[in-house]
Amino acid sequence: MTTEAILSALPPLRELLGVERVLSAASDLMVYECDGFVIEKNSPDIVVFPESAEDVAEIVKICRGAEVSFIPRGAGTSLAGGCLPIGGGVMIVMTRMKQILEINIRDRYAVVEPGVVNVWLTQALKGTGYHYAPDPSSQGACTIGGNVATNSGGPHTLKYGVTVNHVLGLEGVMADGSIVRFGGPAPDPPGLDLTGSVVGSEGTLLIVTKVWVRLTRDPQGCRTLLGVFDAVEDAANSISEIIAAGIVPAALEMMDNGIIQALEQAFQFGFPLDAQAVLLIEVDGLQAGLDTQRDEIIQLCEQCGAREVRIAADERERMKIWKCRKQAFGAIGRLSPSFCTQDGVVPRTKLPHLLGRIAEIGEKYGIQIVNIFHAGDGNVHPILLFDEREPEQVRKVLDASWEILDECLDCGGSVTGEHGIGIEKLSFMNKMFTTTDLATMGRFRDAFNPDNVLSPDKMLPTAGACGAEQIHPGRRAAL
Amino acid sequence: MVDNAFYPMHDSHNSSDSREPTTLDEVVAAIKSCHESDSAIYPVGGGTGLAYGTPPAREGVRIDLKHLNRLIDYPSRDMTVTVEAGMTFQSLADLLKTNQQQIPLDVPQPDQATLGGVIATNVSGARRYGYGTMRDYLIGVQAVDARGDLFKGGGRVVKNVAGYDFCKLLTGSLGTLGIITQATFKLKPISRTSILMACPLADWELADRLLERTVHSETTPTAVEIVCGGAWRETPGLQLLWERTSPAEGLLILGLEGTDEEVAWMRARIRREWKDAGVPWSEEITDQAPDLWRSLAQFQVDDECPLILKISCVPSAVTTLAQSVLQLDADCSLQIHAGDGVLVARMSEFPEAGLAKTVLASLVPLANQNGGNVVVLSNPSGRDMTHQSVWGGIGTRFDVMTRVKQQFDPDGRLNPGRFVYLGGL
Repeated sequence: MTTEAILSALPPLRELLGVERVLSAASDLMVYECDGFVIEKNSPDIVVFPESAEDVAEIVKICRGAEVSFIPRGAGTSLAGGCLPIGGGVMIVMTRMKQILEINIRDRYAVVEPGVVNVWLTQALKGTGYHYAPDPSSQGACTIGGNVATNSGGPHTLKYGVTVNHVLGLEGVMADGSIVRFGGPAPDPPGLDLTGSVVGSEGTLLIVTKVWVRLTRDPQGCRTLLGVFDAVEDAANSISEIIAAGIVPAALEMMDNGIIQALEQAFQFGFPLDAQAVLLIEVDGLQAGLDTQRDEIIQLCEQCGAREVRIAADERERMKIWKCRKQAFGAIGRLSPSFCTQDGVVPRTKLPHLLGRIAEIGEKYGIQIVNIFHAGDGNVHPILLFDEREPEQVRKVLDASWEILDECLDCGGSVTGEHGIGIEKLSFMNKMFTTTDLATMGRFRDAFNPDNVLSPDKMLPTAGACGAEQIHPGRRAAL
Repeated sequence: MVDNAFYPMHDSHNSSDSREPTTLDEVVAAIKSCHESDSAIYPVGGGTGLAYGTPPAREGVRIDLKHLNRLIDYPSRDMTVTVEAGMTFQSLADLLKTNQQQIPLDVPQPDQATLGGVIATNVSGARRYGYGTMRDYLIGVQAVDARGDLFKGGGRVVKNVAGYDFCKLLTGSLGTLGIITQATFKLKPISRTSILMACPLADWELADRLLERTVHSETTPTAVEIVCGGAWRETPGLQLLWERTSPAEGLLILGLEGTDEEVAWMRARIRREWKDAGVPWSEEITDQAPDLWRSLAQFQVDDECPLILKISCVPSAVTTLAQSVLQLDADCSLQIHAGDGVLVARMSEFPEAGLAKTVLASLVPLANQNGGNVVVLSNPSGRDMTHQSVWGGIGTRFDVMTRVKQQFDPDGRLNPGRFVYLGGL
């Protein structure tokens, strides 16, 4: 991609969208140089703001004509560099496509544009008796298009599943500029489940322009509990016991002492500062069964050594607990100037082992690590605290992260449960998958994006990079 | 042409050109030998889904997976299980039941159907309303492509977004992208109580009113079904209802699962809701619930039925579609997954005028208008089994699917002709 190529794309893009929907000044582009993964940065050459699928299709055709690569972006909340523009090119920012096009309660679906912020749909559905289940912690900012690209999870996935379980159909623009549609409001469209295959493809197969989502019945009631533990291991054992008893909580989140301290400073909820772990457990469903489930959970936690189990007395208290959980990342700002949130998964019975290893790894590198995570899914989010102005600390954070993720793999898990590979975890793909697996994935991508011009070099390690020691996450990819 | 070559329709089980691998290596070797001899490959599990799909494009080698049936790993406290694809659904269900766990899918002929086959055909049934379908349970998959290359997707943990989701891609792919050899599932606890409630539907207008009410009800049934037609007359649990109901009418059936308290509450609530809606009387099926669940799962089995169709639409259109099917064939029997928008129709005869003038001319446009489609599940006559009549017309999306197929199986060796791809792949 040459400067001439970029320059040749600019006039037709301006003609198509108007000057105000095309950014190319260095100062304007800086906003788009990274997402929530701040370790790696690279500016796009041009940023455009389409308002329709037709705009996107025309933008893609202009990029093709000029031989410039292109990448879609939602709100930029990816924690794995999912919308880092490797090698520059045109960034297609979808945030102006923000209409909720249809809400159909009788048929239990909604149709939204990709730039709709997750929580807007929640708000629009209030009072209908239905909701959109995936609720990532960033739901106040992240877009549904971005959720589709990364197959986002959130605290309620244990019972309700992740994004892909709630997406019925997609419309999008292919790498050749054609507009396609897979699936829709009716079930079981004939042929391959391309809807399911595109969800989680991190923008490498399709630029999504419309999403049909499943709506879920609101639970009649819920019970929210806080289990306070003197030992992390006891909390982890409680999780296994609850699940093994046949209870599927709507949410089962764990917070360790480091996070409890930060949350207490920020929100003064009244967490005991000496607790080593707190479990946030929520069961929902029919009122008729909830008290029994609540009592069973209390009993199981106590059997595992809980110091106490508190019950949210009313909706106000419940909302306060959830506010703590969802804004935890804000509270971490009080602990450290920078932090890196990791995203690993292990079978949930391996959590006690993994949490022990995370603590050891933190000590080994002299890095403070705090944990707040989706314990019921075995999906850990160790948060490594550091100062990004200190190169030595950055180095240690990366090494410690890698060691934690290796441990997840050794436990039979995955290096990402919901954040995606992006560029951050490219080097792990060779550890999780064989050469044949990756070649097959490459061929699958080729069916949609044969020239690798759409979100180039994301998610799959590029040929030749296999097995090489990575010094800095994505650094080589960014060159 | 090879003598005794396998032709995967009804009369094909005597083929001598058949491989029965017992290990993964033997699967790979069998596929590689087909690759070398340029033979078509027809993977077979329990053979319960062979009627589904367009006729094969050419003769070839049958690869029978039912001996590849070992349990690989069952960490029950993690609520996942990994098995080889040739294990039958029932064998796995029996194993999971020892820990009060399940894959909550309704599979017909579960003692024959293999897990690989269930994945490849994406079979679902009544409880999809409450539990979803195969795509919601398959979290890891291993398969061998047409070249003999082993590939995998997903893993063994319940949450995982590393790499492309081949679990979704292979679910419902009818063995055309690879032979599935191993699968990992996420599991659910078995509900402590499970009953069904049924009431007669005097007319379709009442059906619409009750379905609408179900959407807004605070109850959480796991199945919302409408059944009608002669095939249901002898069904366990329903005889009393039929004695007092005219054959022209259907029954609404709700499946209720949960704890004792939950089910008791729902049962009382539904009784009241139905009464308010003008339903004269209803039936609760408790002791016979397992038999009725089984009958609901078995309805789509292709025994002797001259034509079985599967029609999809938005849920609010199921009664419109049902009436349209009954106009075509007043003696057909229907099972409607009314909460989801799926109708399975067992026709009383193959239409005289052929599929093009009946199904394609009337049902497909109506299904299309309501967001759905019509596919043929079984047609033993073999008549009119064209791409268009079996897969409900040609849409642009088949172009992209064909491109995917070309990437996985460029020579069209795996189940050629049998699926939605263009150009006979």
